[in-house]
Amino acid sequence: MSEILVLALRALLAISLYAFLGVALYTIWQSLRASGFQILSHKPPTIALSIEDSLAITQEFSISEVTIGRDPNCEFTIQDETVSAHHARLRFHHNHWWLEDLNSTNGSFLNNERVEVPTIIMTGDEIQIGKAIITVHITES
Amino acid sequence: MNFLYPITHSPKGRIQSRLLSLAALFMLCFSLALTLAPAVRMRSWDVALRWWHWLGFFVWLFGFSLIHRQLRNLLPEHDPYILPIAAFISGWGLLTIYRLSTNFGLRQTLWLAFSLFILWKGLKSPGIIELFKKYKYVLLISGLILTAATFIFGTYPGGAGPRLWLGCCSIYFQPSELLKLLLIIYLAAYLASRLPFYPSLLQILTPTLILVGAALIILLAQRDLGTASIFILLYFVIIYLVTSKRRILLTSLLTLTATALLGYVSFAIIRYRVESWLNPWIDPSGRSYQIIQSLLAVAAGGTFGRGPGLGSPGLVPVAQSDFIFAAIAEETGLTGTIALVAMLALLTGRGLHIALHASNSYHRYLAIGITTYFAGQSILIIGGNLRLLPLTGVTFPFVSYGGSSLLISFIAVMILLWVSDSEDEPAPLRSVSPYILVGGAFLAGFAAIAITNGYWAFLRNSDLLTRTDNPRRSISDRYIYRGALLDRNNQIITSTQGKPGAYTRSLLYPPLSPVVGYTNPTYGQAGLEASLDPYLRGQQGHPAFEYWRSHVLYGLPPSGLDIRLTIDLRLQKIADELLNGKTGAAILMNAQSGEILVMVSHPFFDSNTLSENWEAWTNDPDAPLLNRTTQAQYPPGTAITPFLAAEALTNTSIPQPPINPSVFTNGKYWHCAQEVPDNASWAELLSSGCPGATQKLSKTLSSAQLIDLFHRLGFDQTPTLQLAQAQPLQLPETLSANDILSSNPPVRITPLQMAIAASTLSHKGVRSAPIITLAVHTPHQGWVFLPGEAPQKALPNEVIPQVTELITIPQTLLWQVHANAYQDEEVFTWYLAGTTPAWQGTPLVLVILLEENNPSEAERIGRQILESAFQ
Repeated sequence: MSEILVLALRALLAISLYAFLGVALYTIWQSLRASGFQILSHKPPTIALSIEDSLAITQEFSISEVTIGRDPNCEFTIQDETVSAHHARLRFHHNHWWLEDLNSTNGSFLNNERVEVPTIIMTGDEIQIGKAIITVHITES
Repeated sequence: MNFLYPITHSPKGRIQSRLLSLAALFMLCFSLALTLAPAVRMRSWDVALRWWHWLGFFVWLFGFSLIHRQLRNLLPEHDPYILPIAAFISGWGLLTIYRLSTNFGLRQTLWLAFSLFILWKGLKSPGIIELFKKYKYVLLISGLILTAATFIFGTYPGGAGPRLWLGCCSIYFQPSELLKLLLIIYLAAYLASRLPFYPSLLQILTPTLILVGAALIILLAQRDLGTASIFILLYFVIIYLVTSKRRILLTSLLTLTATALLGYVSFAIIRYRVESWLNPWIDPSGRSYQIIQSLLAVAAGGTFGRGPGLGSPGLVPVAQSDFIFAAIAEETGLTGTIALVAMLALLTGRGLHIALHASNSYHRYLAIGITTYFAGQSILIIGGNLRLLPLTGVTFPFVSYGGSSLLISFIAVMILLWVSDSEDEPAPLRSVSPYILVGGAFLAGFAAIAITNGYWAFLRNSDLLTRTDNPRRSISDRYIYRGALLDRNNQIITSTQGKPGAYTRSLLYPPLSPVVGYTNPTYGQAGLEASLDPYLRGQQGHPAFEYWRSHVLYGLPPSGLDIRLTIDLRLQKIADELLNGKTGAAILMNAQSGEILVMVSHPFFDSNTLSENWEAWTNDPDAPLLNRTTQAQYPPGTAITPFLAAEALTNTSIPQPPINPSVFTNGKYWHCAQEVPDNASWAELLSSGCPGATQKLSKTLSSAQLIDLFHRLGFDQTPTLQLAQAQPLQLPETLSANDILSSNPPVRITPLQMAIAASTLSHKGVRSAPIITLAVHTPHQGWVFLPGEAPQKALPNEVIPQVTELITIPQTLLWQVHANAYQDEEVFTWYLAGTTPAWQGTPLVLVILLEENNPSEAERIGRQILESAFQ
C-alpha cells in the first residue's frame, strides 16, 4: 500500500516540478508578447510645428526625432540666415517631447528662455530658433 | 495556498504567488514521500518512519510566505521569478540534505531560517546597496583580511580537512564565500564610477587587478582552487560585459589556460583531479572513487529516479555538499535533474534580464556579477559531478549543505530583487552582443550538463549498474529475497534467511563451495552464484510486467527465483567423505543427459566464512578457492588408451599387445598404474593404464587422426556449463605417441572434459553435454526446465561394445580404467568408470582425479561412489 501511495506522490512531485517550469515559461512568453505589442503600438504623439510669419509653414511629424535647421536634410527646414545648419532637436522619450539645442550660434529659446539642457515642451509652447518663432501643437495618438 | 502566498492585483504578484504555491506542493509531496520511504523499503508498515524533515519543511513554508508578503509590500515592481526559483531549489536541497543526514538537515534548517531572516530584514532597507557602493574598498579589504585570517584561525568543521572556515562552537563560516559577493560589489561599484570617462583600459583595470590578484594569491595559498576559478570567471565576465571588448575574452581565455597549466604543474591536487577526471576507470577504488560513485548514483537514478528516500545516495562521499547533484539525480532521475537544470537556466536568464533593465550601471554590474556567480558555480559543480569538468570543490548555490553558501546566495537574491524593483528606463547600453554571448555561453553550459546527464543516466546506465564495484547490488541483496539453490531432490543447498533489510545468504553444505561459489559485497561473486545471478536476483524469469512493476514501485527487481540443480546431495556427501583429506576432484555424471550428480573439488573453502579466511585461502598453495573439476587442467596420461583403442578398432583392427607394458621415457620408466602379469592381454593393459599400450595404439594412428580424435572427444573445447572453466588448450599441429607420453604433454584437460569424453563409452559413442541446472521455479508457471545443449557423436557406436568388453569388471555391468599421468615432476592418478552398454538403467560415468600416485585409493573411492549411486 505504501508503495502505491509513494508512487502517486512521486507522480505529483514530477507534475508540480514541470508545472512550475511551465507556468514560469508561459508567463515569460506572455510578458514578452505583451511587451512586443506594446512596442508595436507605441507611437510618439504627432507634433505639429508652425511658423506664423511671412513663411507661414506648418508641418506635422509622427516620428520620434525632428531636427530643425537651415540644412535641407533637416526634418524641419527654415531658410533664414539666423538659423544654424543643425540648430535644435526635438526628441520623444520618457513619454515627452524634449527640446535640445545643438550648439547653435544664436541659441534656442523656449518661451523666451534660453535652452541649455534638454527641456520638455508642451502644446502652445513657443520655440525661438534664430528669428523664427515656432508654435508647438502636440496631438495624443 | 493563497493564505500562505496571497496574490496582489499586479500580474507580477500573481505569478510569484502561483509559482511559490507550486513549489510548496512539490515540497509537500517530497516530504510525504520521504516520510513513507522506510515503509516502501521494508514493504511493511511496521517500521520507523522519517519525521525530522518536516521541521525543515515548515521553516521553509512559513519563511518564504513572510518573504513573499514582505516583497509585495516593499518592492511592488520586483522580478517575480527570482524568489520562487531560489525557494524551489533551496527547499529541494534542504530535503535532500535531511534525507542524507538528519543532523546536517537540522543545521541547514537553522541556516535557512537565519538567511530568510536576513532577507526579510534587508528588504526593508534597499539603501544598503548604496552604502555598499560607498564603502567598496572597506568591504573588499575586510573580506580579504577575514579570508587571510583562516591561515591563523582556520578550522575544518568536520574534523580533519582543508582549514577554510572561521568560527567555533559548532557555528562556522567560510569567508571565501563572502569574498565572492564582496568582489562583485567592489567591481560593480568601481567600474560604474569610473567607466564613463576612462582614458585607457589598463589604467582603469590596474586597481582591480591588484585587489583580485591579492585575493587569488590568498585563495591559491589555501588551496581553495574552486573559489579561485570562480574568481577568475567572475572577474573576466564582469569586465567583458562592462567594456564590450572582445580582447578581454581572448585575454581571459589565455589567462585561464595559463592558470590551469600553472596549477597543473605546481599543485599535486590539481594533477590528481585532472587525472582522475580524464581516466577515472583506471583507479576506480582509489583516486577516482568519488567521481565513479557519483556516476554510479546518476546511473542508478535512470530516467525516473529511485524515489525520495529509496535510493542509496549516501554511498557517494560527501554527498550532502560536493555531490548533492548526484544524490538528487539518483532519487529523482533524469526527470528531476533536467527540471533542476532548466530552473538554473531560467534563473540565469532572469538575472541577465534584470541586468539589461537596470536603471543605472552600478545596478547593472551587480546583477551581472550575481548571475555569473550563480550560473558559473552551478555549472562548475554539476559538471564536476557528471565528469563533464574536473572536480572543483565549489558549493552548489542554494542546494548544497553549508551555511555560508546559503546565506551569501540569499543576500545575492536580495540584491537582485532590489535591482529589479525599478520603473525607470534602462540605463544606456554600449552594446547588447556581449550579453547575448555570455547568456548563450551559460545556456550552452546548462545544455551540455543536461546532455551529459542523459548520457550517464540513460545510455550508459546498464553497463554502469552491472559493475561489480557498484555497492547498490549488495545493498539491494539485503532487501530482496535471493533465490535458493536446491539439489535434485529439493534439498536446500544454499538459501537466503532473515527479513527484508537484513537478508543473509548461507550455504548449508560448505563442501560444495567451489561449485556453488559465493555472492559477497567485498569479494564479488563466483561459481553458480555468479552464473545464475540473473535468476537468483529476479532479473530473469519473471514476466516483463512483474519486473516493470517492481522497478516502478520499489526501484528494485522482484524476488529472486529458486533453482533446482542436478546435484544429488546424498551422493555428493558420500563422495566428499571419501575424498576427505585428499587433493583432487570427482565427477559423477549421467552419460546420456549430461546431468552432473556429484562434483567434488578438494581441498575446498567455506563460502560462509570468506571474510575471515580470504587471505589464507588466496595464499594457500593447495588453492582451495579453485574448482578443480572445471578450472584445473591435467595431462590425460594413459587414461586416453581406451579411446585410442576405439579409434584403432574403427580404422583397422587392434594390433598385437606390446611385449613391454612399461615405457622408458624422459630418463625413467613409466610403469602401468596397476601391476599386470607378463604377456598381459589388451584387457589387462587397457584397464591397468599401461603406457606401453598407449604407445602401441597411438602409433597405429597418424598425427592427423590423433588430433581429430582429441577434437571429437572435446579436448580443445569449453563445455557449455554455467561455471568458470579453464581456457581449453589449442591442439598442436602435429601429435605423436612420444608427445602424449612426454613429461610436458601438449594436451591437458579438466576432469569435466575427461568425464564428457568418458561418457562416450557408456552411451553409444555420444559425447554428452553437461548440465548442472535442472529447473527454475517461476511464480506463474511453476518449475520450468532449463534445456541443455545437444550431445554430439564422437565415436562409432559399433566399436563401443568391443572396447568396453576389454575393460569390463568381471561379473558386473561396469567398466573401469586406471591411469596415471606425469607432468614435470608431478604424478596424477586418473580413475575412469561407467556402466557398460548392456546396462539397462540410467547410464552413469565417473571420473576421479587425485594429485598423487594412488590408483588403488582412486579405485576404492570410485567403486564406493558407484555402489552408492546404484542403491
